[in-house]
Amino acid sequence: MFGKFKKQVDTIFVDSNSPAFHIESSVNVILSPSLYWVKKISLPIKSLREVKALLESLFEDTLPEGRYSYEAYKFNDEYFIFAYKDKYILDLLAQKGIPASKINGVYFAQNELLHLDEAKKIDENEVIVVKDDMLILLPKKFTSAQNMLNVKDIKLSKHRVTLKQFGHIINEKSLYTIMALFVVLLLLVSTQYMITLNKIDKLQAQKDNTFSKYSLKPTMMQNRSLLKGYKESYNRQIELRNIIAVVLNMPLKPTQKIKFISYENRKFTLSYSGLKKGDEHYIERYFSAKNLNYSAKYNKNIWYVEIKL
Amino acid sequence: MNRVNPLHIIILLIVILAFIIMKLNKAKEEFIDTKSSYNKTVVLADKIKGLKSSYFNKNRVQRGIDQILRSYILKDSNIDKKVTNYSILLTSKNMNKRSLNFLLGKILNGNYIVSELQINRLNNQKASLNLEIKW
Repeated sequence: MFGKFKKQVDTIFVDSNSPAFHIESSVNVILSPSLYWVKKISLPIKSLREVKALLESLFEDTLPEGRYSYEAYKFNDEYFIFAYKDKYILDLLAQKGIPASKINGVYFAQNELLHLDEAKKIDENEVIVVKDDMLILLPKKFTSAQNMLNVKDIKLSKHRVTLKQFGHIINEKSLYTIMALFVVLLLLVSTQYMITLNKIDKLQAQKDNTFSKYSLKPTMMQNRSLLKGYKESYNRQIELRNIIAVVLNMPLKPTQKIKFISYENRKFTLSYSGLKKGDEHYIERYFSAKNLNYSAKYNKNIWYVEIKL
Repeated sequence: MNRVNPLHIIILLIVILAFIIMKLNKAKEEFIDTKSSYNKTVVLADKIKGLKSSYFNKNRVQRGIDQILRSYILKDSNIDKKVTNYSILLTSKNMNKRSLNFLLGKILNGNYIVSELQINRLNNQKASLNLEIKW
């Protein structure tokens, strides 16, 4: 069922002298031997990974200066080792009308065309031929090759090459280091985020706990209103005590007496008896000096005072 | 090419990092707000608790008044005590100067809410009293 939708991908052979291609859909690219360096070597090492670690030194002194990528594949008891320039190949492919986005896979001709039993023309000037298991390019005049190389129906191997698009700017190791740094940074920031969320939850729980511990009302508005009421009562009591202190500490003549004191509905009233006409001025001056906001009336030797709290 | 470009992964990581940093900043702001709100709640709760336990606690007020009334100085003052749901009413039709001074001194220097007070001078030595204390 899925095979029905499987896309048919064309395969092309690309040499530095190939003409430009008109690519409409993705293609597999077989690289000509002119685009890479290859050696067949025999090493007393069984692991391909260990061979790959030695590749740079195995090509030392044989390559022109530049930034290279390396690859190795096992071939019987030996290894094919490759050196290639990612940017050079990608630029060349782009020049030939093959953008990176249209490349399905890249392969070395060395791996894909080893089965050639005779020389094949790749253009009017060059042929490709297998000699001692090595694929080489020769001028056409050296051979009697008549047939053009056809790669359309070729069955490709699993040895796909990965071209690093930014390898010339920054090497892969640095990219992975940067990635690792970002991942570490991401983990740190995420951890801090989780810790902060946890702290918020704990604070919220402490706040809820404070409500039950202090038997507070359900909302802060109710509690603020409650505190306001308490404060008003408290301040009024302080004011009442101040007024009583002022009234009781005022020196009076022996004939002058406080006859009545009352406090009700925020109103403090008192009356003085035994006052002669004009004595009230002394008391008024005293009250004013103590900043009491009062009203008073004098009637039949009795002086009535009212102070609002 | 099918291979995922490492630079794209780095850009993706930067976007994720920026998103989490943004979330972290919001969480930090929320944390500061929650902390401020918690501190305000604790301060408010302390104030309410302080005033409530000092002035508005029924049991404390009743115990305090009972203790004052048990004093031998007030023995002859015939103070009548009436307790309602919200207050204690103390009345005396005839109490001497010493008892009045003692009682008022204790009440006014203590943590009591005096909601009503009436002192009527009867003569040089005696007075009548009406005093209501609320909680």
